[in-house]
Amino acid sequence: MLSEGDILFSSLLSSRSLFWPPGLILLFYLVFYGFLAALFSFTMWVMLQTLNDEVPKYRDQIPSPGLMVFPKPVTALEYTFSRSDPTSYAGYIEDLKEFLKPYTLEEQKNLTVCPDGALFEQKGPVYVACQFPISLLQACSGMNDPDFGYSQGNPCILVKMNRIIGLKPEGVPRIDCVSKNEDIPNVAVYPHNGMIDLKYFPYYGKKLHVGYLQPLVAVQVSFAPNNTGKEVTVECKIDGSANLKSQDDRDKFLGRVMFKITARA
Amino acid sequence: MCFPLTTSWRAFHQTPEIYSVELSGTKDIVKTDKGDGKEKYRGLKNNCLELKKKNHTEEFQKELHLDDHKLSNRELEKKYGTDIITGLSSTRAAELLARDGPNSLTPPKQTPEIVKFLKQMVGGFSVLLWVGAFLCWIAFGIEYSSNKSASLNNVYLGSVLVLVVIFTGIFAYYQEAKSTNIMSSFKKMIPQQALVIRDSEKKTIPSEHLVVGDIVEVKGGDQIPADIRVLSSQGCRVDNSSLTGESEPQPRSSEFTHENPLETKNICFYSTTCLEGTVTGMVINTGDRTIIGHIASLASGVGNEKTPIAIEIEHFVHIVAGVAVSIGILFFIIAVSMNYRVLDSIIFLIGIIVANVPEGLLATVTVTLSLTAKRMAKKNCLVKNLEAVETLGSTSIICSDKTGTLTQNRMTVAHLWFDNQIFVADTSENHSNQVFDQSSRTWASLSKIITLCNRAEFKPGQENVPIMKKAVIGDASETALLKFSEVILGDVMAIRKRNRKVAEIPFNSTNKFQLSIHETDDPHDKRFLMVMKGAPERILEKCNTIMINGEEHPLDESTAKAFHTAYMELGGLGERVLGFCHLYLPAHEFPETYKFDTDAMNFPTSNLCFVGLLSMIDPPRSTVPDAVTKCRSAGIKVIMVTGDHPITAKAIAKSVGIISANSETVEDIARRLSIAVEQVNKWDAKAAVVTGMELKDMSSEQVDEILANYQEIVFARTSPQQKLIIVEGCQRQDAVVAVTGDGVNDSPALKKADIGVAMGIAGSDAAKNAADMVLLDDNFASIVTGVEEGRLIFDNLKKTIAYTLTKNIAELCPFLIYIIVGLPLPIGTITILFIDLGTDIIPSIALAYEKAESDIMNRKPRHKKKDRLVNQPLAVYSYLHIGLMQALGAFLVYFTVYAQEGFLPRTLINLRVEWEKDFVNDLEDSYGQEWTRYQRAYLEWTGYTAFFVGILVQQIADLIIRKTRRNSIFQQGAFRNKVIWVGIASQIIIGLVLSYGLGSVTALSFTMLRAQYWFVAVPHAILIWVYDEVRKLFIRLYPGSWWDKNMYY
Repeated sequence: MLSEGDILFSSLLSSRSLFWPPGLILLFYLVFYGFLAALFSFTMWVMLQTLNDEVPKYRDQIPSPGLMVFPKPVTALEYTFSRSDPTSYAGYIEDLKEFLKPYTLEEQKNLTVCPDGALFEQKGPVYVACQFPISLLQACSGMNDPDFGYSQGNPCILVKMNRIIGLKPEGVPRIDCVSKNEDIPNVAVYPHNGMIDLKYFPYYGKKLHVGYLQPLVAVQVSFAPNNTGKEVTVECKIDGSANLKSQDDRDKFLGRVMFKITARA
Repeated sequence: MCFPLTTSWRAFHQTPEIYSVELSGTKDIVKTDKGDGKEKYRGLKNNCLELKKKNHTEEFQKELHLDDHKLSNRELEKKYGTDIITGLSSTRAAELLARDGPNSLTPPKQTPEIVKFLKQMVGGFSVLLWVGAFLCWIAFGIEYSSNKSASLNNVYLGSVLVLVVIFTGIFAYYQEAKSTNIMSSFKKMIPQQALVIRDSEKKTIPSEHLVVGDIVEVKGGDQIPADIRVLSSQGCRVDNSSLTGESEPQPRSSEFTHENPLETKNICFYSTTCLEGTVTGMVINTGDRTIIGHIASLASGVGNEKTPIAIEIEHFVHIVAGVAVSIGILFFIIAVSMNYRVLDSIIFLIGIIVANVPEGLLATVTVTLSLTAKRMAKKNCLVKNLEAVETLGSTSIICSDKTGTLTQNRMTVAHLWFDNQIFVADTSENHSNQVFDQSSRTWASLSKIITLCNRAEFKPGQENVPIMKKAVIGDASETALLKFSEVILGDVMAIRKRNRKVAEIPFNSTNKFQLSIHETDDPHDKRFLMVMKGAPERILEKCNTIMINGEEHPLDESTAKAFHTAYMELGGLGERVLGFCHLYLPAHEFPETYKFDTDAMNFPTSNLCFVGLLSMIDPPRSTVPDAVTKCRSAGIKVIMVTGDHPITAKAIAKSVGIISANSETVEDIARRLSIAVEQVNKWDAKAAVVTGMELKDMSSEQVDEILANYQEIVFARTSPQQKLIIVEGCQRQDAVVAVTGDGVNDSPALKKADIGVAMGIAGSDAAKNAADMVLLDDNFASIVTGVEEGRLIFDNLKKTIAYTLTKNIAELCPFLIYIIVGLPLPIGTITILFIDLGTDIIPSIALAYEKAESDIMNRKPRHKKKDRLVNQPLAVYSYLHIGLMQALGAFLVYFTVYAQEGFLPRTLINLRVEWEKDFVNDLEDSYGQEWTRYQRAYLEWTGYTAFFVGILVQQIADLIIRKTRRNSIFQQGAFRNKVIWVGIASQIIIGLVLSYGLGSVTALSFTMLRAQYWFVAVPHAILIWVYDEVRKLFIRLYPGSWWDKNMYY
């Protein structure tokens, strides 16, 4: 194959036609490609003019939000820790702290306190973001326990619903988490019942809805102190809302998420 | 004694010089006997070395005893253990048959069907696909070893490539098998029969069952069933032309007349024809051991040349492979320097190389060639080997046979001379228009002689057959005269009946005349009429009066001179001239009851009355002069190679335009200037007539000189073997040579030629086997249509390839951008396959239906080393101009889709890694929305579909611009080729079905695309069209300019 490449190269570089005289050919390609580049830039510019800065033109491909968990998984949705070894979960705590930074009281002080239990529709031109009191996450808020329960063997995982512009959940949405292992059924969710308040919807987009905080749900799995070397699989699903799907054959993260926690000795 | 032939067969592999004589005897004999005809067997001497290589030496080493012509009948009986009277016994014959095998030529070793089939899958193009497939699998292997969940795309792609090769192979095999079937249907269905004496009985057996020692009887019209030694003969004459090229009938008798078995009169050869008389002979050789069997086996020793189109496709594969490897390595280096892992970079490298493989082209080219083959078959050119379709188009020299190809292959009356005047007869195929003056009473007498002094008869039961097509029993001249008189006078048989024949002396070579005596149809005239025809000078000798305007005049010096002038003139036209005379026998000397005795010759044969001359020729087919002119204007040199006499050859050459009206040979110049031939500067002449005798003494340099310097060449008196020398000479001039032939002896030349053209009707099976193409109507004019189709297909293949290559860049760029810029992959492998093997297939085949842009028959044949199928401008223009524009257009659609869904172009840059992570399910777009992996994947497929549609829309523009290479679309007519529009429709329909019909099938990664995205690339498509129109305009405006050189492909 290589020798064939050589043949071509030598024939391409032979002075016979295209590359001779070099000046003229260079000029030609300079002009030609310059023109093409300009044309492409122009058509791209025209295309960008058809867009709206605030809202994408179509939102048909994300009709329903996915769920995502924190700490951010690296390769797979698996968390392994050992309560006796702080280094084993230091990364998770770091990650959670980082994630919860926008949720600190300090950060939220400019946000609005919104009426609970109803969609918070706004007409603009200024869009305000609702406060999400981090205390709602109770034991997983990190306020009382900076280790998010890892040191006690009760690790916290945060569950987040993806932002989608204009999404208005129907009914009373909540995130329901269950353990798949019968011997460790102790899965606690905060806020109570995994409720997601409608006041955080709809979302108006990055540009308009500055400071928007999406509602969170925390999951706490309690491993019995003597129960080491156990693993548990937890599945969280959106429930209670007709227009938020939690069942899709192809998309395993549409309205649901499944993760595994392993507690080592 | 062992005949010298033995020594020469054996010496053959020692000295290259000898082969030339091995069939004619040894050199010693050549020296002692300078007889005519020996030179005819010289021929293959230059091929010795080649043949030697082919391991044929063994075959020639076999002792070939051929001394049977010298043996007496008794010795023969002893040698073959037979009896001349009783023949062989059936049991003995069966034994011999078991020992020697059937008496038939072993067909050249047939390539086993499976080998033929497999051959279809290893050609230049297929190799490219095979390499691509293996690279795919290797890439998958690498991926799989590092990641068990590697995508199976590469496996699919590899398998698809292999499937393409296999299906195309099956298709090509089927096509070629089909034409082989048509050919075999031409074989004579009725097995040949032979009349043999066995067990003292005459039996008719299939000639395949003949064995040596059989006593056979052959009568006029039959083929000689084996090599036979003549035991007795009655006026037997044979046509040896298939063996020697000698078209004159040869007498055969039982006398041993020549040392050389080919010259002696007492041997008849297998496959020659007994024209008249009967012969009884003993079979001395059967099947492959016959002389013709030996010659036929030579053909398999001549190598088959690669077809020009195969060379072109190989060249194309080199270019594609070169481009692929160059780009691949370039981006491998870039990828490595961008800190990609080496293993990933290797996968990129393989991906790039494979992306360059035009998957659909193999199938397209094959289908295109077979479409043309089909079209050619309709015009009576049957192509045996698909690739040979194009070869005729690049042909620069045609070496054509005369008899049957250029001529009608039947003697026809061309001129008459009576009343001191030459009249022209109509020689066209149907003879319909005889305009010469028939009012003269001389004509009345002449027509009577023509009618009566003729033994030929129409075969019965042909009442409704047109006269010219009726089958006749009789030799060629008599047939010509019979048909001529039948056309003019009406029912000849009735005339003969009214003029009852009372005595007859048939033609023989000693007295050279034919005579018959008739009662007249005038009841009051009791005289007998004696009519005679024969060689003009012999006839004139016997006359003392000449008939002019119905009156007998004494034959004086001036009339004799007039006769000679006319005779020379007609002879100079290469025509066979016959003289006619008659005499009314005085009634008192020859009363009604007179008994004529042809042995005692009890009647006068002198002092007759000379009536006229009549000349015959095998006239050119009426379509041939036009076809030769077309070849001329197409820059094709037509060389006539014939076994016929130079004068006849030259006359026919002149009448069909192979020698044009105003060109002269050296001999013509000498005659005009009245100087000796040697004094003429031989390069002053434009035309040359070279005889086999001259050819045999020439070195190959001299042959080259002749071929290069004369525009118009006729080779006369050549043996079929000498054709090979001529073909090789032409090939040394870098010409692509087409050869026509029909005889077994032509098969080596047919095989050696770049394209061998065999005659479907007259051709022997051996010739058809060796040829690449068969003319079903034996007509030279069909070759011209073949040339036209061949040239058209070459042009159209260029267009097809240009069309196919263009989108390769549009398919490759996304991958390169993906590596370098980190965009989510714009188009997937499977989507690309749907373009290459889906939407683009019918359009690229549709280009095969494109009409020629200009008169392709008015330009020179392409130079096989300079005018390439895929040249640099084609590759550059397709890849770097249109291909790039297409890529930009497709990217525009892609970016539009992503942007309108929320991912602005700047967000996409370097998004690739995050985008492809399976556990990132909250990837943020430009508007703050978060996407799960599957939602992204679905968007990615929408992107594929968008890119696909972008390419598709622009390929429509590409298809339209590829209709022409030089002319504007408006000159060509946008709607003349309807198939193009079928192609465009198919493209759109397949696209719609993929997007909207199969959009929900995940594995295909197509999605339903919003209707407006179909129009995003339309401005780019229009731009492509406008750009190409501008290109063509400048090419037309400034021919030969820098632009023309760089932009015309």
